[in-house]
Amino acid sequence: MSVLSEYSPKRYLKVSLFLTVMAIAVYFAMKACRVDLASMFESLFTNGDVYLRFIDLDWSTLWHMVKAAAVTVLLAALATPLAACLSIIVAIAGARNISKPWFRLPARISLGLERALPDTVVLFVFIAAFGLGVFPAVFALALGSLGMLGKLWADGIEEVDDKSLEAIRANGGSLWQSIRYGIIPQVMPAIISNSIFRFEVNVRAATVLGGLAGVGIGYELSRAYSLLEYGRMGMAILVIVVVVHLCERFSGFARGKLLISGGLE
Amino acid sequence: MLRVQDLCKTLPNGRKLLNGISFSVEKGEFVGLLGPSGAGKSLTLRCVLGLTSATSGSVDFESPDGNTHSICDLRQNQLRRVRCHIGVIFQGLNLVQQLTVLENVMIGKLGCIHPLRSWLYGFTDREAREAFEALKEVNMESFAERRAYSLSGGEMQRVAIARATFQKPSFYLADEPVSNLDPKNAKAIMKILAQLAKKTSVLGVFHQPDLIAKYCTRVIAIKGGEVVYNGDPKISPRKLADIYGDELQELEISQQNGQELKQMVPATG
Repeated sequence: MSVLSEYSPKRYLKVSLFLTVMAIAVYFAMKACRVDLASMFESLFTNGDVYLRFIDLDWSTLWHMVKAAAVTVLLAALATPLAACLSIIVAIAGARNISKPWFRLPARISLGLERALPDTVVLFVFIAAFGLGVFPAVFALALGSLGMLGKLWADGIEEVDDKSLEAIRANGGSLWQSIRYGIIPQVMPAIISNSIFRFEVNVRAATVLGGLAGVGIGYELSRAYSLLEYGRMGMAILVIVVVVHLCERFSGFARGKLLISGGLE
Repeated sequence: MLRVQDLCKTLPNGRKLLNGISFSVEKGEFVGLLGPSGAGKSLTLRCVLGLTSATSGSVDFESPDGNTHSICDLRQNQLRRVRCHIGVIFQGLNLVQQLTVLENVMIGKLGCIHPLRSWLYGFTDREAREAFEALKEVNMESFAERRAYSLSGGEMQRVAIARATFQKPSFYLADEPVSNLDPKNAKAIMKILAQLAKKTSVLGVFHQPDLIAKYCTRVIAIKGGEVVYNGDPKISPRKLADIYGDELQELEISQQNGQELKQMVPATG
């Protein structure tokens, strides 16, 4: 009668108990962090003129901001293909159906580590190695994407149709030939689609990581913030919104176009 | 051409799947393998190809140059070279669905191509033309540019045959090539196989005694991992009932379950 028990009043008791516990937890957490809701709302509205200063855009910096945004997009455009190429190799090593355990374990563990490390931590390591600039930002972005793309594709390769691979082996194909003619055609749609999507994600991430590394629109934004130039900040935010939106549109368009022309839908 | 002697396959848990299979196939023969599901027909074919390693016994294959290869003892690269001489006709669903029909046919020759070449530039124009000729023989040339997933079952099966004939092998192995086809397509495929067998030899697994009686030159029946019949393709109904036991009525259903053995035995080839 487990199905019927779901409809018993006990269930609502459980839900309300859960909500009560959550509410108490939130209350104590706020108290511990000294969150004062009243003063928070007050400062939101009393300093209303701050928002007006944002809206008062500094149009003279437009071209400067667009150039900075182009650098940010370039960071993602460099990092994504780099990560895509590397992650195919790691994914082949990490897929159970074509790899050997002594390749698979290191590949899977390194992918897991890369996913576990926050991008900013990776960035600071690379800044220590290369100094500020484009390189640490590109490598940090690429490494972050590598962990995710590599895992996606290793899983994708493991789900490939075994029978067609075996047919290739039976026809005399070697392991690498079965990868070339059996696995690559079958995982290619996912690879293209995920890479382009990852590019879109990377443009957003490049804003923050580039800012920390001292390049691109993110850096312009943080510099304008530290100088309290609200007009510049507003301009930077506007350019970021427009550029990210354009990249999103482009990625959707490119995914549709590539997948159809490749007959890979 | 092919001599299988005392082939045994025992699972680690002691279950005997093949129990001393012996037979031979000569040039010009079209041999049909018959038997209830789980009898070891497909497994025998896999052992012949070296995809599954047998526990004991030997498989000797004589290639057209006169050399005899003991398939059970060969290593990976030698195995690939021997597989060049053996055309394998799988069920059509084992095509690579995302590739075009022509590419699927050309995969047949991978054994003769260096792996590095297939990564650098793939196949040559000449090979493409030959593959197109192979498609013509099965009346599929108008589908050459189509992707495999857009074909029907019968069309896929024809492509699978073209993949094997493109290799120009001296020996054909066919694993249930007509299992998921309608009677008309099944007859057409059997005709093509009988035609191929005249110049080479064909060893195929079939579930249709009537088709075997009509097209094959010899039939080998396997039951419980042993050869129980080897001779005239026109088997008497009594003998047939003996081979299939109680399963005769369930034959229609068991055709679809023919794959179960493959999944039980891990591939090593």
